[in-house]
Amino acid sequence: MTAPLLPPDLLAMMDRGVSVIVGSRDLAMRPSVMRAVGSSLAQGGRSITVYLSRRQSSQLLQDVAASGHVAVVFSEPATHRTVQLKARHATMRNAQPSDEPLLARYLESMEREIQRVGHPPALTRAMLAHRLDDIVAISFEPQEAFDQTPGAKAGTLLGGSAP
Amino acid sequence: MNGPQLGDIRPCLEGAIPAAMATCGEDGMPNVAYISQVYYVDERHVALSFQFFNKTRRNILANPRATVLLLHPQTAAFYRLSIRYLRTETAGPLFEGMKAQLAGIASHTGMQDVFRLRGSDVYEVEQIEAVQGHPLPAPPPRAGMLTAVRRYSERLARCTSLDEALNAVLATLSDFMGVEHAMVLMLDAGSQRLYTVASCGYPTSGIGSEIGMGQGVIGVAARERTPVRITHMTNAYLYSQAMRSSFEAAATDAEALTEIPYPGLAQPHSQLAVPVLSAGRLLGVLFVESLNDLQFGFEDEDMLVAMAGHLGAILDLMQASTETPEPAPPATGPLAEAAGAPLRLRHFGANDSVFVDNAYLIKGVAGAILWKLLRDYVELGRTEFSNRELRLDAAIRLPDVTDNLEARLVLLRRRLAENSPHIRIEKTGRGLFRLVVRRPVELIEG
Repeated sequence: MTAPLLPPDLLAMMDRGVSVIVGSRDLAMRPSVMRAVGSSLAQGGRSITVYLSRRQSSQLLQDVAASGHVAVVFSEPATHRTVQLKARHATMRNAQPSDEPLLARYLESMEREIQRVGHPPALTRAMLAHRLDDIVAISFEPQEAFDQTPGAKAGTLLGGSAP
Repeated sequence: MNGPQLGDIRPCLEGAIPAAMATCGEDGMPNVAYISQVYYVDERHVALSFQFFNKTRRNILANPRATVLLLHPQTAAFYRLSIRYLRTETAGPLFEGMKAQLAGIASHTGMQDVFRLRGSDVYEVEQIEAVQGHPLPAPPPRAGMLTAVRRYSERLARCTSLDEALNAVLATLSDFMGVEHAMVLMLDAGSQRLYTVASCGYPTSGIGSEIGMGQGVIGVAARERTPVRITHMTNAYLYSQAMRSSFEAAATDAEALTEIPYPGLAQPHSQLAVPVLSAGRLLGVLFVESLNDLQFGFEDEDMLVAMAGHLGAILDLMQASTETPEPAPPATGPLAEAAGAPLRLRHFGANDSVFVDNAYLIKGVAGAILWKLLRDYVELGRTEFSNRELRLDAAIRLPDVTDNLEARLVLLRRRLAENSPHIRIEKTGRGLFRLVVRRPVELIEG
């Protein structure tokens, strides 16, 4: 097992539940993108799971299935503190009832995060609304992590390396 | 294209909520980045703010395909745009429009020291996908804008003078758009400065105050001939007297003496300036501002652009009609005799500035006009004049044949009304007017 890519404060931010955007690409290199409705960390950030609505993300899910490539951005709305993780071997499964508490906890956190930048919880609830039986969980071990907070250090490799 | 059109999702393009953008590098690795601005260019194009040399930038130059995720700020509905990079603009109308919007976004989000527009990346929109979801009900569409355009058009069509047209503009803004602070400025083509001819909602009218090309929101709208809209308080576009002084350090004492203070808000939270154009020429700027954030949306911008178009056409029409004066009406009885202590009027030929009892009144073309009228009055006893003779008078030095003489007369008339009520200019017919002098005058040259 490799050492963690990410410093503890970033891991804490990600674990709390902040904005998550997921990207992939098809075989013709056309990118696909959707916002996740939840996220969770395991093994100190060595395993990350993001949750997507199947009907909102059909192209993205198809692309992840075909290429295994994912780029995932975690960002704290109020501070713009942002980290991007990349992986080449993402796996997918359908969400289970056991995932539900995680999704509920994520929604609660996001209501607070988005309210900090002036948008009411109703907007956040509509943005993240989903049915559990429509949810797909994508799990991956991040191979690279980049600081993507806007500013001088944006783009800095936090850890990992290209193959 | 099926599905939504770009015009249907303009609320998503106001910069209220950052968009997410996915690109793909040559190595096949996707990249996701937040993007501050997805800016409406036209029905087939958007422009994205290029702020940093980053992975997104490198990817887009190598592989022009990108996908953008937008969120509707009121309904939380998602839209996905498949776009293709075309080019980057680093100057001009699009760039300046985006730069202003970004300044507002940066200020609102505490990023004023970080966000800087390097370029406007223009993309063709290949597809817009309305993503399924559970959005909130859309707020009712804003009603009454078309009616407002109609009322304005009716008011303008009834106007027989530039004074009335300017009043119609300001009245429409306050009656139908809730605008509390507005200005109309005209271009002085010779000096390439804009001078205020009408305003409402300020402690002082600021009639005659000037703004240079490129200064503040108004000056940028004029220079680039494009609407400039800011939705939050920002220092980036504050226009104040102090700013002008530091910009123009060479300003002489004489220039300082003849400075009419800019009347605008010291701390505007929303600003919108729209160029007034006709036949491809810049005539002036229509400007509104507010103490509230987010006061002016894209619909207000649409409305102001429509109003400015009408105004530009009517300015040119009125100008043309005043060149062929209609016969003057018969004089309505003897004019009142000038009485009381004499007014001492001093004229400086260098800039045609005129002072009344040592108080600055006016300068430039309007100053030259006033001086000609007063000299003819004193030396020849004339009181009746025509626009046409002013245009033919070489001493007045109108910048060119297209210069809006009527606007100069409006400026002069309003400055006199505010500062020297014993001298008046009254319209007597199309392209005709009368000088009314209620006190004896003493003219001093230099």
